[in-house]
Amino acid sequence: MAFSLVLCHLFMIVYTPQSNKMRADSDGMECHVLVIGSGGAGVRAAIEASAYGDVVLVSKTIVSKGGCTPMAEGGYNAVLREEDSCEIHFEDTMKGGAFLNDPELVKILVSESPQRMDDLILWGAVFDVTDDNKVAQRPFGGQRFPRTCYAGDRTGHEMMTTLVERLDGLPVDILTETTVIDLLKEGDRVVGAFALDDKGDSIVIKADSTILATGGGTRVFDISTNSASGTGDGYAIGYRAGAELIDMEMVQFHPTGAVFPYDARGRLVTEAVRSEGGILKNTLGERFMKQYDPERMELSTRDVVARAIATEINKGRGTKNGGVFLDVTHLPREQIEAKLPVMLEQFLKFGVDIRTEPMEVAPTAHHIMGGLRITPRGETTLPGLFACGEVAGGVHGANRLGGNALAETQVFGKRAGESAGRSEKRVRNVDLRQIEGQQERLSRFLNGSVNPATVARELQLAMWEGAGIFRNANDLRSTLAMVMHLPASDLKAVSARNLSECCTIQNMCLTASLICKSALLRPESRGAHVRTDICHAWDAQTSPFAHTYISHARQGIERRSHT
Amino acid sequence: MIRLSVHVFRFDPATDTSGRIVPYTVEVNGGARVLHVLHAIHDSIDQTLSYRYCCGSGQCGSCAVRVNGEPVLACMEEARDGMVIEPLKLAVKRDLVVDLMQNLDAIAFLAPRAELVFPAKDEIDAIKPLRSCIECLCCVSVCPAMDVTNFLGPAAMRQEMRLALDPRDSRDRITDSVKDGLFTCTSCQACWKVCPKDIEIPGKAIEKLRAFANKKGLTLPRHQEVAALVKETGRSVTRIEPTFLEQVGEVLEPYGTGAPKATMGFFVGCMYNMRLPKTALDAMEVLRRNGIHIIIPKEQVCCGSPLIRTGQLDILDALKRKNIETFRSRGLNTVMTMCAGCGSTLKNDYKNPPFTIMDINEVLTKYGIEPPAHLPIRATYHDPCHLLRGQGIREQPRQLIRQVVDLVEMPAICCGSGGGVKSGMPDEAAALGKRRGEEIQKTGADIVISSCPFCEFHIAGHTDKPVKNVASVLLEGYKEKDKKSVKN
Repeated sequence: MAFSLVLCHLFMIVYTPQSNKMRADSDGMECHVLVIGSGGAGVRAAIEASAYGDVVLVSKTIVSKGGCTPMAEGGYNAVLREEDSCEIHFEDTMKGGAFLNDPELVKILVSESPQRMDDLILWGAVFDVTDDNKVAQRPFGGQRFPRTCYAGDRTGHEMMTTLVERLDGLPVDILTETTVIDLLKEGDRVVGAFALDDKGDSIVIKADSTILATGGGTRVFDISTNSASGTGDGYAIGYRAGAELIDMEMVQFHPTGAVFPYDARGRLVTEAVRSEGGILKNTLGERFMKQYDPERMELSTRDVVARAIATEINKGRGTKNGGVFLDVTHLPREQIEAKLPVMLEQFLKFGVDIRTEPMEVAPTAHHIMGGLRITPRGETTLPGLFACGEVAGGVHGANRLGGNALAETQVFGKRAGESAGRSEKRVRNVDLRQIEGQQERLSRFLNGSVNPATVARELQLAMWEGAGIFRNANDLRSTLAMVMHLPASDLKAVSARNLSECCTIQNMCLTASLICKSALLRPESRGAHVRTDICHAWDAQTSPFAHTYISHARQGIERRSHT
Repeated sequence: MIRLSVHVFRFDPATDTSGRIVPYTVEVNGGARVLHVLHAIHDSIDQTLSYRYCCGSGQCGSCAVRVNGEPVLACMEEARDGMVIEPLKLAVKRDLVVDLMQNLDAIAFLAPRAELVFPAKDEIDAIKPLRSCIECLCCVSVCPAMDVTNFLGPAAMRQEMRLALDPRDSRDRITDSVKDGLFTCTSCQACWKVCPKDIEIPGKAIEKLRAFANKKGLTLPRHQEVAALVKETGRSVTRIEPTFLEQVGEVLEPYGTGAPKATMGFFVGCMYNMRLPKTALDAMEVLRRNGIHIIIPKEQVCCGSPLIRTGQLDILDALKRKNIETFRSRGLNTVMTMCAGCGSTLKNDYKNPPFTIMDINEVLTKYGIEPPAHLPIRATYHDPCHLLRGQGIREQPRQLIRQVVDLVEMPAICCGSGGGVKSGMPDEAAALGKRRGEEIQKTGADIVISSCPFCEFHIAGHTDKPVKNVASVLLEGYKEKDKKSVKN
């Protein structure tokens, strides 16, 4: 209903390219829960919150098409068999995360993941099943039991389709192709958000509670698996509003991204390829994982495999396209066709038949383990603001296990939706000066001078060079300095419709700076974070350090005692 | 880096009354996709270019556009020099951005039962082929039925079938789908052929839903009459004049003294047998003149296509058995069809027949034809859906036609006669036929050539130009040639 009003209104607005204006209907836009983000976590949160009051879901894209959930290929970890147990899933996750994970969040993840799987099944998800009609599971890296549930290699797409179908049946107002550019506050409390629609007109949405579910941000790197929406908006928006973020240095480089064609480099080659039996070889034909993790080989944790591949390439044992070989040609054709149909289709489009030729792969920035600090209820450090999914930190520690992210979206999406839904209804006031501030920010863009695409490009190259898989203080400092000097406030919006793009690139710059700063805060190598300039005697379990943290108010690294 | 010159559709609703095609030259890396060309234009030439994209890996369905007229995903399609990039044929919001919401909202969602019924493996296996849809709406943008009638469209039908197969769903999807226009689909296959995920919507959704509808007694009365006729006579049309099979012997020897180039059975089909026998006789003349030895078993029956397309499957297996046995017993390796619908059915719906099936256009181009006289006629060619998309035959008829007349092309769009629409939804068929007539008019051609009795019959009612079969035109070329040689 409210949605159709919005649509009606769109037709009444006269478009003026050199300005943006407040949408007349925006004054009336209020809700109990505002959800920002339409991937797996955001939609799950909206579904849950809708039981408690009006919900508005804002999507920068089209719901079901945006975010990284629909691109997630491999699977969803859940303990479903008697031979498996939540304790083992917990241990695997903690060990994989180099014991940096928040144990309480991990306990919740492993114990509730099966129930959230049940929700998906009830709502119509079509996961692969075994011959005896149980949800099928495949082995994923760093896990002692094959507990990764899947729908071929389009698991996230299956989940997203299911969630959106569920959402369709609920009274949630959806604003599509609308970009939240900042949160609105009353004192410390978050009371809604300021957004731009696809014409560049402004919308103010007031809410009792706001959920950030904006996903990740590895688009700040030159080579990334993320969709176009993985630009770190939530980290930046949360940080600007005053929320505290933890472990932002923890960036997962997925071992296997495509290297060709060049313009599509970084595209995810799912871990399911190795899970189904794919093997890694260098150009000498050596199955090199035996030098790096002879026990787990290709199914070692992602941090280990990514470093192994990067090392092989650095030592000159990579292909001319800058990758190593990932080979499934020894597997039966039918297995490849049934279990890896998306991979088969994608590579065929790019001229490689993976049934008869090896793939070429190299590491690609994939997932940010850090994010807004949350409680088990999904509360951030700011009252009125909740976070779930990749934008939140703490669940995966220093390295995420494949299959745990999709589970996280559901477990913590539901929790954030429920907590926000249960929060009290309040009188909604927004200090108008904040809106004026946003309008000023936008008019600066309209009068700016720098092409945003150029800035994004420079940022991505600098981050890949200086804050990638192997790091040291000098490079991190110079990368940070470079990022801070990018003219993010002088970006040029050639029309009102280009305003959100400018905001996004500002967000990318801010997120990148948080990664660099946090990486400098952690004087150790841990999980995905490797400092080549620091040697230390401790291992992950005996490390004296816990989370890094960063906010307007403070930054540092927590110490922990080993008793 | 490579340099590409491309053309891109631009439209700004604030200032333009209609779109325009703008040329751009960009530099991209080797192997770049269409999307990367759009990025290059946006980043370095004109930031106002609007286009939608997200995942960049063919999984979200945001970036569908038309390249040289064909719907594709911009992120997966390799960029080519000279390509024309246009929006899907849906309401354009701006440049390459179209309105998707209306069609996305039309896609039904699962209504869970109170208690969970976990689907069994065979149910999951049945649903899976329909599940990989990324809702890019390429299919919707090419559906002819949606243009002229109330049809919710291929994407929505796929979903209704997916839900009909799911024990967790509580609604009656069959009745829903009938209300949503199930019987308006012409089986033209355009949706399937443009689907980036290769989902066979006509065969795996529409026809299956129609079969479910049949079990619920929802088959259209006119379709029921056809089924009753097939059951009674083995033929889908009634006899009104001497049939082709009544007019020919079982064996037709090639003319001339040389050894036959090939021997093959001929499957005539109901329409050429009983409505257009003259056309089939023309074809026999052309084949005999070109050295083909033809065996025509008289006990052949309807191929079953009218029943499959309308979901009436009770006697289908009996028809298939009868036809297979008829040709198998003659020891034939090859069976030739000239009806596009029969050919598509024999090739796609008969499981492993003990002989190869070839369309007449394939036969004539494979074995080669004696050049006919070139007639001073401009012709346009209508691609029959069941030939072009059902059998992948595009070039062969054109190759034949160009030898006898001048060919002017027109877009390959369904004429409206297929899928039981001509009998069951005559208004829709007429609306599509009218559009075909308009396209024919635009070409300025003197005649229309096709290679399907349904198309020929239907189009003839919607154009003042003569509608002829490929074989008949070839025969005219031979007659002209013979006339000239007599004079000489």
